[in-house]
Amino acid sequence: MKKKWRWPLAGFALGAVVGATMLTVNVVGASSPERVAVRAAGFGEILHTPVLLARAGEPVELSFDVVCGARLDAPEPQCNPSGSVFVRPGGHSAFSKLPLRREPDGLLSAVVPAGETRAGLDYYVVMDNGRGQTASLPEAGAAAPQHVWSLADWTKVDLGSAHFGRTRAPSSVVRALSWGRGDTAIGLDSAREQSRIGPSAFDVAPDGSVVLLDQVNRRLVLLRRGARPAHVPIPFSGGEGDLAVDGAGTIFVLDSAAKPLVRAFTAAGAPVAAAQLAEPIADMIRVGPSGPLVHSYPSEMWHPTGAGRPPFGPERQLATAQPARSADGGFGVVVHASPGAVRLALVRGDRLVRAWLLQSESSFGEVQLAEPYGDGMVVVVRLWNEKHAQFRVLRLGPEGLLQSFDVEPAEWAESASLSRFRLHGSTLYQLRSDPSGIEIAKFEIGGTK
Amino acid sequence: MRRGLATGLLAGLVLGLLVIGTPAGAYHTRFQWGCNDTFYNHDPVTRADARDYAYVAAAEGYQWGGGCWNGNNVDDSPGDPPQDPNTLGEGGDCSGFTFKSWWERAETGDPWFRYHAWMQNVHGPYAAADFKYGTGAPNTTVAKANTVYMDAFASTYHIGMIYWANTAYNEDRIIEAKCEACGTGTWPRTYRGNPDYSGARRLYWAG
Repeated sequence: MKKKWRWPLAGFALGAVVGATMLTVNVVGASSPERVAVRAAGFGEILHTPVLLARAGEPVELSFDVVCGARLDAPEPQCNPSGSVFVRPGGHSAFSKLPLRREPDGLLSAVVPAGETRAGLDYYVVMDNGRGQTASLPEAGAAAPQHVWSLADWTKVDLGSAHFGRTRAPSSVVRALSWGRGDTAIGLDSAREQSRIGPSAFDVAPDGSVVLLDQVNRRLVLLRRGARPAHVPIPFSGGEGDLAVDGAGTIFVLDSAAKPLVRAFTAAGAPVAAAQLAEPIADMIRVGPSGPLVHSYPSEMWHPTGAGRPPFGPERQLATAQPARSADGGFGVVVHASPGAVRLALVRGDRLVRAWLLQSESSFGEVQLAEPYGDGMVVVVRLWNEKHAQFRVLRLGPEGLLQSFDVEPAEWAESASLSRFRLHGSTLYQLRSDPSGIEIAKFEIGGTK
Repeated sequence: MRRGLATGLLAGLVLGLLVIGTPAGAYHTRFQWGCNDTFYNHDPVTRADARDYAYVAAAEGYQWGGGCWNGNNVDDSPGDPPQDPNTLGEGGDCSGFTFKSWWERAETGDPWFRYHAWMQNVHGPYAAADFKYGTGAPNTTVAKANTVYMDAFASTYHIGMIYWANTAYNEDRIIEAKCEACGTGTWPRTYRGNPDYSGARRLYWAG
């Protein structure tokens, strides 16, 4: 070998070894068992569906469950949770303690006596998981408790049974977009052994344009009348989310990442602020009179995140959480649904203004939309059986049902679970999907908003 | 001499990085290299046991064809290209996560229970469609109206288990390995009323 090649060759060999070593150390280091963290012992989670609406003067049962999680990566005995629910009847200032009893089905329950439910009640629960850890729900306890509105009577609405397949066609379609990544497309995340996920949500801006959350492509899509779709790239770390637009055109995006957060953007899509959420799971963002509200779990309370900058931090969110969603006109909207009945109410503070009880021979699914409308509400609820489903649109007045029609679910791709519909003025918008793509469809609602 | 050494060092460094780092090493975490094959048969098992087990995987990753997670509440391999088992990321896919959370055995004719360590890299023999149609000795179908917690809703492409049924808006909180960008977690969903989905149940719970 000629001498002049000796040093370059030596350098080459050394460099190759150094480069390979650097990468190997990094790759193995990133995945070696030493890096595997063991879950820190935590409480787990209190599970509870809030009662929200009950007949005045009847007992109210409050039931809870606890997920303790596993401490060890091995079979271990179940935890043995216990606790008490703290109840404050309407008009009282102090909470009284009711111990929870274990029911045959494993739930922990307490019954608030009839004498304490006449004027509504506040409550929160404090649980011990039997492993020396405690938690409360709602987390702020007495500072922002859960509430039950008591009512003397409901306006009953019998929907009969569903007639699947008899649906109303949209009055018009705002825009249709095919699946893809291009300028006239919308993102689809679909593969074997996972959800089939399309755009999570949309809302209608004050000028009537539609804003779509194309989280698969990490962007907002702005659909303005007569213009090509405009796109604004946004940071988004989860797989799904939700979106709401306020009266000034500010766009609020809920990012349902492992640590969910709300990001605010101007009407043109420029970032304004971001707020970490107080609770670990959230399914809805809506705009109230004082700014964005996030419906989150496990409390099922509405947490304000603040319209300005800086947004509210987790402590303030928890301290100002509300069981009813603040809506226009000073109303709070309260929803409690089950497969057999849907209970809806408009409230002002602790006072119940109006309530409806929906019943049907078909099973109820989720309440997709419940908005004050005139002196009543517009509601969209799913009716389903094992093989069919469709949405029933209802206009409710003080005396009962004023109007109803059915629409196709058109849910080939998943969206945020409660964001398929939005009401703007007297127009109901629906996000629809099929194997070719999505469309935003419109249905005109009668009456006066 | 110095210039020759430096030139060779640079060229070697580039070659080393390219050879070891291409195509995936510089990107993928190869999380599964730290996984194991630890399991043992166990009996009896309750729905609450199964939910506690599944809860550990919440906030962990999603990996198509994968099956191990470490319980640190972080997706340790985010952003892998989907549908590629060679990315070796953290987490199960929807059917693998259900298989482990339902303490099932790899032998499809054996209906009894098996504890799979979180870090055991196992997917199991069932796809979502198998659960939808009740394939395998431990599995059956059930009317969606009759489901309870830790039953599941399964379509031909996805499955998620009921973590807490009937929220105030009448959704179900579902625990599921949802997608690469989603990871694994508990989310309120409306699978119950969606005709794509059927009710699926693991048999022989002790309570």
